Amino acid sequence: MIDEETAGSTGLPSKKVLGLFALAMINVAAVLSIRNFPSMAVYGWSCIGWYILGAVMFLIPISLAGAELATGWPEGGGVYAWVKQAFGEKGGFTALFCEWSNNLVWFPTVLSFIASTLAFALTPALANNPWYMFSVMMIAFWGTTAIAYFGEEASTKFGNVGVILGSIIPAVLIILLGVWWMGSGQAIVLPPLTLDAMIPVINVSTLPFFATIILLFAGMEMAGFHALETKNPQKDFPRAMALSAVIIVVCTVLATLAIAMVIPANQLNLASGVMQAIEYFFKAAGMSWLVAPMAVLITLGGVVSLAAWLIGPAKGLGIVAEEGNMPPLFDRTNKYGAPVAVLVIQALIGSVISLLYVFLPSVNQAYWILSAMTVELLCIVYVLVFASVIKLRYSQPDTPRPFKIPGGMAGIWLVGGLGMFGTIFAFIVGLMPPSYFTTSGFVYVGSVLLGTFLLAVPPLVFLKFKKASWLKSAGGVR
Amino acid sequence: MSTYTRLEIGLFILVIMVVLLPFILIMGIADASPYHPISGEPVDEAAQATGITVASVRDSTWSLPGALGGKTYVLTDNTGETVTVSTQSFDSAESRDAAVRVYHTQQVGRGMPVGSLVVIGQHLIYVTPAHSNILERLAPLLKQRISP
Repeated sequence: MIDEETAGSTGLPSKKVLGLFALAMINVAAVLSIRNFPSMAVYGWSCIGWYILGAVMFLIPISLAGAELATGWPEGGGVYAWVKQAFGEKGGFTALFCEWSNNLVWFPTVLSFIASTLAFALTPALANNPWYMFSVMMIAFWGTTAIAYFGEEASTKFGNVGVILGSIIPAVLIILLGVWWMGSGQAIVLPPLTLDAMIPVINVSTLPFFATIILLFAGMEMAGFHALETKNPQKDFPRAMALSAVIIVVCTVLATLAIAMVIPANQLNLASGVMQAIEYFFKAAGMSWLVAPMAVLITLGGVVSLAAWLIGPAKGLGIVAEEGNMPPLFDRTNKYGAPVAVLVIQALIGSVISLLYVFLPSVNQAYWILSAMTVELLCIVYVLVFASVIKLRYSQPDTPRPFKIPGGMAGIWLVGGLGMFGTIFAFIVGLMPPSYFTTSGFVYVGSVLLGTFLLAVPPLVFLKFKKASWLKSAGGVR
Repeated sequence: MSTYTRLEIGLFILVIMVVLLPFILIMGIADASPYHPISGEPVDEAAQATGITVASVRDSTWSLPGALGGKTYVLTDNTGETVTVSTQSFDSAESRDAAVRVYHTQQVGRGMPVGSLVVIGQHLIYVTPAHSNILERLAPLLKQRISP
């Protein structure tokens, strides 16, 4: 029956298991992160202004663009399908590969976060032990990969429960504690709220932070990778985008303000980590007993976030491989419809990089450069997505779009233009080395650009050597 | 049974190598900061040598395993620019490097971590904002302290 099971692009069955709530939770898992709260709380009331900037320059544009693209082209592959419609296979494959390869840089940091947060619930000193760190990182990484192996249904169940327990409940607890703090007459460390206090200071020193804020809400396109498994994509995608955006903004802004009201900015030492801020927060409220359970929940939130980013782009690459754009080695799916080959290759590469991250001494500068590459790769993805939503209004004006960005061509240029401007700005600023850097500026910029190029170029290599036999339906060798 | 052509296997290996290359290269070329004891307070000394005013200073200990304590400085220059610099010394290379990893997990969204982290000997020096004239002036003197 077509409602329950339809053929994928190359004939593989795709079970329709995702509804509005599950789609929204995929985006929430990808974007909502407790890790951001203490970092943003340092800015006091001006965090509101920063969040507004991030929402106007990225969250709203990407949500609207994603909703239009996902309802107009509800095909598997997410950004791949969208950008391919506008700029052909090269563009689509490059966008998708950049989204996938930037994960490879990010995986060790989120895995390290998971391991060190769990250590906080057990014995914080464990975080100093590289063997503990690497073991937990690998259990989380391969465990999440194993969940992805069992297909969309298993991933969805895990994601739905995990995001509520690991992201939404901790955020709500922090907000409630903030409300209780105010209501009980405790000292609020923020100055009185004024309009001036909410306006962020933008100058040369804060430009890099401004660029970071633009990508604060990156991941809103993640639900698009699951189009083939969505029951009613035309109806559910826009609503899921809206629902997830509201949950993310409300939880993020209120929880950040709650922390900013309770913890003095000079105690929010960013090098000390999110759990230290949470510990201070709960101790101040006389609820120290909640710190360890919170650590466990936040660990789960980290795993769910990892799962969202690990599964989405891998599914996209699976679609690309099914379409014959990658060698058959990459095109292995199991009976659950999971792209096994891509998942295993991803886990192997991620494990090697995590190994380097944990065991190489003082990776500080190296990881700064690698993080800059993450920014550049993501900017390429989003520039292509925003350019696609504009171009498709011209090249395919008659394609039915159940959700259309309002305002006609002016609206699409405003939304797409704002998003493109923000991401191009973030790309340029991402090349600025910090003032203190022992490597020269030339070497820094060269390293970031070369690394970005190398992580973006494989699609062009694949397409150059593409053979008809790689397509499954052509009877290619397996 | 699966059989693959040489081209397919070659492409597979090539792409895996291309993807891993940036990581190996960057982790190889980036300057390492060996753990070694440093006497005195490098930030205070650099500030005095470059004529940057220490507006305030207080003791602080980060809540991290192996953290031995340090200072938090508010530095200002004659243009009115202000930066906050927090230093912390660690009891071992492992605890110092674990703190570095904690810092890199604090990315805002999918971007960069806030501020800048400098590794000198047994010290971590955390500076906000990451870009400033003050830090540029301090940098050459701080760099001299990296090697034992």
